[in-house]
Amino acid sequence: MNKLSTNINNSRITNFILRGRVIISLFVLIILMFILGGIISKGFLSFRHMGIILRLASFLGIVSIGQTIVILTGGIDLSVGPLITMGNLFACMFIKGLDSNTLWALVVIVLIGAFFGFFSGLGIAYLRISPLVMTMAVGSLVTGISLIFSQGAPKGFASPILKYLSVEKLLNIFPVMILIWIVLSAFFILLLNYSSFGRKIYYIGANEKVAFLSGIKTRLVKTLVYSMSGATAAFTGALMAGYTETAFLGIGNAYLMWSITAVVIGGTSLTGGSGSYLNTIAGSIIVVLLESLLTVLRIPEAGRRIVNGAIILILVSIYYYSQKNKKYNI
Amino acid sequence: MKEKQRNLQLYIPVYSIAISIYIFAGIIKPIFFTWNNNVNLFTRVTPLIFAGMAQTFVILTGGIDLSIGSIIGLTSVLAVSLPFIDKPLNIVMWIFIPPLVGLSMGLINGLIISKGRFPPLIVTLATGAIFQGIALFIMPTPGGKVSLSIARIVTGTMLKIPNPLIIFLVFSYIFHLILRRTEFGRSIYAIGGNEAIAHESGILCSKIKIWAYGVSGLLGAFAGMFISIWIVSADPLIGEPYIMNSIAVAILSGTALSGGKGGVTGIIGGAYIYLLINNILNLLGISTFYQFIVKGLILILALTISSSGIIFNIRSILRRLFFLKTKSIEKMGE
Repeated sequence: MNKLSTNINNSRITNFILRGRVIISLFVLIILMFILGGIISKGFLSFRHMGIILRLASFLGIVSIGQTIVILTGGIDLSVGPLITMGNLFACMFIKGLDSNTLWALVVIVLIGAFFGFFSGLGIAYLRISPLVMTMAVGSLVTGISLIFSQGAPKGFASPILKYLSVEKLLNIFPVMILIWIVLSAFFILLLNYSSFGRKIYYIGANEKVAFLSGIKTRLVKTLVYSMSGATAAFTGALMAGYTETAFLGIGNAYLMWSITAVVIGGTSLTGGSGSYLNTIAGSIIVVLLESLLTVLRIPEAGRRIVNGAIILILVSIYYYSQKNKKYNI
Repeated sequence: MKEKQRNLQLYIPVYSIAISIYIFAGIIKPIFFTWNNNVNLFTRVTPLIFAGMAQTFVILTGGIDLSIGSIIGLTSVLAVSLPFIDKPLNIVMWIFIPPLVGLSMGLINGLIISKGRFPPLIVTLATGAIFQGIALFIMPTPGGKVSLSIARIVTGTMLKIPNPLIIFLVFSYIFHLILRRTEFGRSIYAIGGNEAIAHESGILCSKIKIWAYGVSGLLGAFAGMFISIWIVSADPLIGEPYIMNSIAVAILSGTALSGGKGGVTGIIGGAYIYLLINNILNLLGISTFYQFIVKGLILILALTISSSGIIFNIRSILRRLFFLKTKSIEKMGE
């Protein structure tokens, strides 16, 4: 009995170290990248530049919340790009530069995002459509809707409050945007680790059939997960309106690839069931840092795409071989 | 004989929907039936058919190829950046280099996916980014020229028959035969149906999968080359819409996303359905903005039908209409 308990304890400790190893090495990587950037260009290590990088990472980080929980269930969300664009567009259209419109506009945008996520969730969970194609189709739908509402020429602009949220600093010390990110991440980390809903997400990702047989309402949970992803994506788009001040139709395009990259860098398994949002935080910072480094190195667009693709491939292979996770998977 | 009947059951719905949409379009706009419009349609449907076939080969193995857009972009860029003076050597180079590059890109995808056992989704997303980077590296902005004599041959007519029609008929028949009549094609179905069992029964799964991705890359290259001839220039990002288009065409032509079911027999019908619906919107003068919505809705509808088995019911209804006696086939229908 005693032996058993120590064994469990040991495995817990080793588990902790194993888990910690990924996150520690990711943060070491971040520090190394900062140092590398500092060597290349002097301004890279300045407090201001770090703030800018973290602020950009927080946009990516909030999108990646949704992407992480979707990938944890074994799915994928390709509609985040169009949803960000739509959030951005609608934010400017609804707010029209007035503070009084900001609150309801944000609420409405989050609800619209959640609705489209809910829609893809319905198709995925109840009609058993492949998440990849369903979210791609919903993405096309959302693109069409944003084009129709803007008629190709976005109108309106962000309000001072929204600008304050995404650009300014709280009491001139701490960027508000990063604070929003911290609050949201804390909420979702707690949700994933300490609520029954969060555990259900992991169980569904690990084995959906077993989860269903043990009484989890897998369809409902999956639908909710996709709704959350839609909501976070649209919310990010709205916050970006504060950053860009006016709407821009191609704003979300890059974030689809980046959000998946951030999740993959964080080591969340694409087959679902293992990973955490904490790792994705590191992943988002790394993605943004890498973009910044490539800009400092004056690498053209072609090179950036190649580097992004190569990094995904390298990291996927590292994680797969280190976990010896040799299943047949899609 | 049995197989022929089964094929008919699968593809009668696809082609009848395509034909009825065609007739519907002709009724609302009589201009639709003119020969010129049809020639135009043959040209526009060809890249869709190639891209759809490329995606079908991969989906049949149970995978998915998100790099097809970048393969199309890269090969179209290659097709215009090769020397275009009409010398025999240049034309031979033009004919062989882009398909070889497409084939090797597909093989790279296949190698990584089957040897590393990584999810096809993330691998092709990553390699797609890399291929697109290479395309942007070769040609950062749209432009370029194609050999006019090649353009004349490919998009011209022969004995009053438009060449694109001949091209897509011949190629879709060839790839139909490859899927249905060769060991390679049969193995693809076996792997898509159940990879473990296919492995147990002695099929070299990894080899077949690598070549399935290779064929997909080759077909993507044909699509890219055709597009560059058609628009007489190239754009490194022109393939982007073809990621979704190819998946939609593959699904509309009766291929199941879970793998192992379907084929390229219905590809012409699937591509026509997809193209005609957008063409009708154009003819009615509806803004292109709505086409995104329509594309998304078509995809969702097709997926709903194919995953909830309504198509199967249509098939069984048609089966009863056309083959009253063959009850035994019902069991082996699916």
